[in-house]
Amino acid sequence: MASLDRTARSFLLTELLGGMALTLKTMFKPKHTINYPYEKGPLSPRFRGEHALRRYPNGEERCIACKLCEAVCPALAITIEAEPRDDGSRRTTRYDIDMTKCIYCGLCQEACPVDAIVEGPNFEFAAETREELMYNKDKLLDNGDRWESELAANLELDAPYR
Amino acid sequence: MADLFQGVWWSGYALPALTVVVYIFAITVPLLVAVAYLTYAERKVIGWMQLRKGPNVVGPMGLFQPFADGLKLFLKETVIPSGANRVLFIIAPVLTFILAMIAWAVIPFDEGWVLADINVGVLYLFAVSSLGVYGIIIAGWASNSKYAFLGALRSAAQMVSYEVSIGFVLVSVLLCVGSLNLSHIVTAQQTIWFAIPLLPMFVIFIISALAETNRAPFDLPEAEAELVSGYNVEYSAMAFALFFLGEYANMILMSGMTVVLFLGGWLPPLDIAPFNWIPGVVWFALKVAFVLFIFLWVRATFPRFRYDQLMRLGWKVFLPFSMAWVVLTAGVLIAFGWLPTPA
Amino acid sequence: MPTVKINGVEHEVEAGMTVLQACEQAGVEIPRFCYHERLSIAGNCRMCLVEVKPGPPKPQASCALPVQDGQEIVTDSDMVHKARKGVMEFLLINHPLDCPICDQGGECDLQDQAMAYGFSGSRFEENKRAVADKYMGPLIKTIMTRCIHCTRCVRFVAEVAGVEDIGLLNRGEAAEISSLEQAVDSELSANVIDLCPVGALTSKPYAFEARPWELKKTESIDVMDAVGSNIRVDARGNEVLRVLPRLNEDVNEEWISDKTRYACDGLVRQRLDRPYVRGADGKLHPADWSTALQTVADKLKATEASKIAAIAGDLVDAESVFALRALMQRLGVANIDCRQDGARIEAEPRAQYLFNSGIAGIERADAILIVGANLRWEAPLINARIRKRWLESGLKVGLIGPQVKSTYDVEYLGAGPETLQQVVDGAHGFAETLKQAERPLIIVGMGALARPDGAEALGAVRRLAEAVGAVGDDWNGFNVLHTAAGRVGAMELGFLPGEGGRSVPEILDGARAGEIEVVYLHGADEVDMSALEKAFVIYQGHHGDKGAHAADVILPGAAYTEKNATYLNTEGRVQLARRAVFPPGEAREDWAILRALSERAGATLPFDSLEALRRQMREQHPRLTRLDEAEPGEWGAFGADGAMDASRAFVSPVENFYMTDPISRCSQTMAACTQEILLARGEGQRAIEGGAAHG
Repeated sequence: MASLDRTARSFLLTELLGGMALTLKTMFKPKHTINYPYEKGPLSPRFRGEHALRRYPNGEERCIACKLCEAVCPALAITIEAEPRDDGSRRTTRYDIDMTKCIYCGLCQEACPVDAIVEGPNFEFAAETREELMYNKDKLLDNGDRWESELAANLELDAPYR
Repeated sequence: MADLFQGVWWSGYALPALTVVVYIFAITVPLLVAVAYLTYAERKVIGWMQLRKGPNVVGPMGLFQPFADGLKLFLKETVIPSGANRVLFIIAPVLTFILAMIAWAVIPFDEGWVLADINVGVLYLFAVSSLGVYGIIIAGWASNSKYAFLGALRSAAQMVSYEVSIGFVLVSVLLCVGSLNLSHIVTAQQTIWFAIPLLPMFVIFIISALAETNRAPFDLPEAEAELVSGYNVEYSAMAFALFFLGEYANMILMSGMTVVLFLGGWLPPLDIAPFNWIPGVVWFALKVAFVLFIFLWVRATFPRFRYDQLMRLGWKVFLPFSMAWVVLTAGVLIAFGWLPTPA
Repeated sequence: MPTVKINGVEHEVEAGMTVLQACEQAGVEIPRFCYHERLSIAGNCRMCLVEVKPGPPKPQASCALPVQDGQEIVTDSDMVHKARKGVMEFLLINHPLDCPICDQGGECDLQDQAMAYGFSGSRFEENKRAVADKYMGPLIKTIMTRCIHCTRCVRFVAEVAGVEDIGLLNRGEAAEISSLEQAVDSELSANVIDLCPVGALTSKPYAFEARPWELKKTESIDVMDAVGSNIRVDARGNEVLRVLPRLNEDVNEEWISDKTRYACDGLVRQRLDRPYVRGADGKLHPADWSTALQTVADKLKATEASKIAAIAGDLVDAESVFALRALMQRLGVANIDCRQDGARIEAEPRAQYLFNSGIAGIERADAILIVGANLRWEAPLINARIRKRWLESGLKVGLIGPQVKSTYDVEYLGAGPETLQQVVDGAHGFAETLKQAERPLIIVGMGALARPDGAEALGAVRRLAEAVGAVGDDWNGFNVLHTAAGRVGAMELGFLPGEGGRSVPEILDGARAGEIEVVYLHGADEVDMSALEKAFVIYQGHHGDKGAHAADVILPGAAYTEKNATYLNTEGRVQLARRAVFPPGEAREDWAILRALSERAGATLPFDSLEALRRQMREQHPRLTRLDEAEPGEWGAFGADGAMDASRAFVSPVENFYMTDPISRCSQTMAACTQEILLARGEGQRAIEGGAAHG
């Protein structure tokens, strides 16, 4: 009986018709397409986009050259050099991220003990040359200054889950 | 000067030739526009089925998208690979395109609206569509590329395989009509469309048409994942556009055949007002559009077949099944004395 | 031997061991901060708590508890774990959570053990203690808030270094480690950085430079003195960032001198990174290898062999000396010498130039006479050995030579040859001390040997050694202390004047007189360059020091961290240095330069690889096959019998401990040490004058 049932089903193409019914129904559902770049989709506070180095409210850079991000980076995209600053504090003299190597895994911001390196909400940083994607410390700090309000808000939103 | 338009030369030769040329333009130009909008419709329909909007930027609702695409293809450089056979490489797309066009000569759009109302219309169609495989084989061979060659071989094998079952489907239709003239086939469906009594044949025909035109889920010749793009991988710009046009014209042709053979051609669904107020050509166009929609619908729904499954389906399922149905049809016709009288 | 049960397994241990040592022997690891094998037991960190039965029902500090027969030791019970967690919590109460900015991070005992015994949060709500940082000199950076008062540093400087510069002030919560704002006056001071289990004492020159996980570690040999300390070279990219000691009980135990540790920043300064050829305008111009080698080869071919001379410097490795000697032999040159200070020692018998008792042999000696050496500066680790022996039981040490501050009690006998003669003649009381000693030991330094009457001094010391019974079948207490790391290797390979050849002073005289026309300086910077003005000078070496200034052609070579090389220390111990980084720019390994030169000079050397060179070198000098071994020299008659020049006192060849060779002279850290330690003490006046003479 079961085989008869199966044969009948296969000869009557029920599965094929079922599939086609599904796509036909889908066709009349509201569409998800948005009019990027004029319209943008929602981003999670955890979204891992372009990197930024943050500062404290008093303007002091947060990064203390602990090199944990460099150590944890699975793509070896981060290069840090450090030496004592004139006031004796530990600071980087070089903080480079090769954005072409970066895989945007977010381990750097997870490793950072002072929330200095973060991956912000910006994902529109395409460039015309590779060189422009070799970020240095100035560029990263600049990003931090530009996105600080969003970065701070995102960190606060995510804080209860960290 | 006035003499030019007089005499046997004019009325016997030139005028009919001019008329034919005008007819040809009257068929091909709308056909090419239809092809253009078929690509647009394909993107739109598949987009909708995938919860997207499809092209919506060029022109209102993206309506000018096909022209943008066409312009792009037209303006690009035709690259001929250095290892290719130049002559055959150029001939292949031209051949494909021409074959897709000339088949339309026998398609009746309405009562008497047919370029060549010949007695062997079905045979002609069958012959022309079989020739299509040459364009593809030549393209695959002339490209001197393994992907193109593999794609062409697959394509050829597939078209040949499915033509066999299409042939039997046609035979069963012809048994019911008693004529190879397409207009007669349409008029034979005055009482009932063949899609209904010959429903299994109709289904087989549609599926075989998908395979014949290398459409999803039987688009193995251009399986992106395996063959990059199949036989046309080395083609660019207008040469590619010709293949593209040919392919889509073939789709429309197959839809037209379906409509003529099974869906009553230009006949309205019911011969009552207000249906029979609408001109037959409109009905024909609507029916073709419906079949084309099925093509797109299927593409959006089903994943690609595996090659051996495709062959199995063609030779071990469709062929015996359609043969059996021919016998059955013939038997029924004889048993009930429904054989059509020769026209 | 007592038998103890450790975690339920019976072990036999030596009597007198502590419980911690017994556990160590049994392979059971016990966490500790204050305990260190080479320092006295303090028992103040309490991290090594274990449960011991029989005994009071509480955990006990295993480092200070002697083992007893039948003891049951449990190191993994809940009680032990809870106790250690408690100790860790107490330690962390006042320890700042600044691991990310702490240089010890990644190699910190406290960090590691907090992973095992730490809590994830603190229960301490009061303010943490903060301690002002202290000044401890140019090498030691202090962040005293991190200090956990293990007192390892205090015990090290007091016990091993032999100075009492660091101490623990105050008590209880106010306890602070301090050197009273003075630089630690010891050549071994930076070892406290390795000893510090936390980040309280870190390396000042290396501050914030790198993390331990970034560094490529290469085991190598030090060349800053002739002790041949075993070191680990830590490099990142192509830069040596720091040098750390490696354990070798026979040589340096686990200490290294400050110069060994910190001269590495000289490796990137004043480097010769391309060949130079002196042009017609009298200035050195950059050249390519081909030009430079061809110039040298042409000169060598055009000059008579008797007018060519070669001098090997202080830092040369055995391989390149072997190659240079082979090249000179092929060219027929007999004027070759490695004793650029003019030391009057010869190749045979070998006993005359080796530290025959071995450095570890010092621990068996019971009377020591030091002749013409300032051990603290010439070989701080040998000095530390003597101090270790001296601490053990009353060791009598006599000194003839420069009077310096010592880290143990020294009987100062006199300044020069006169006193030595007295001792040799038995007229001095110390001769009797030596004679009565079971294993007397005599260390004669270059201060006595590197002078015109050095051979006579050598002979005198030999006679003394024989007279006091320092030379026997199982004990050879006659020791020569070298200051140049390459010297013993070159002596061993016979880089000495051949038949009718000239020694260094004779070469210099010859060059002055125009009899020597071509001088090949292989890393030789310590000869009188003014003598070479007329000669065509070829300098092969790594630093732009005196030799390079005097040169007509410069062939840039590799420093000790940049080549695989063999070095023999003052004992004759054969040790392999390994390449940590590549030579800068166009500089090449020295043997390869000589091989390339030989081809152009028409005297192609028969090896194409370092392996082939080593194979040949070891065939001809089988002693070099036995790595990490020092073969004692055979005894015989050596030295001269004549009288010494009594008018000149013995002077140590080291004028400034921190700057003895081209590398350390280029080091900013060493310059800072000279400034802050020597000059601040007023001891450095002569050092500065000496340094000025070196340019």
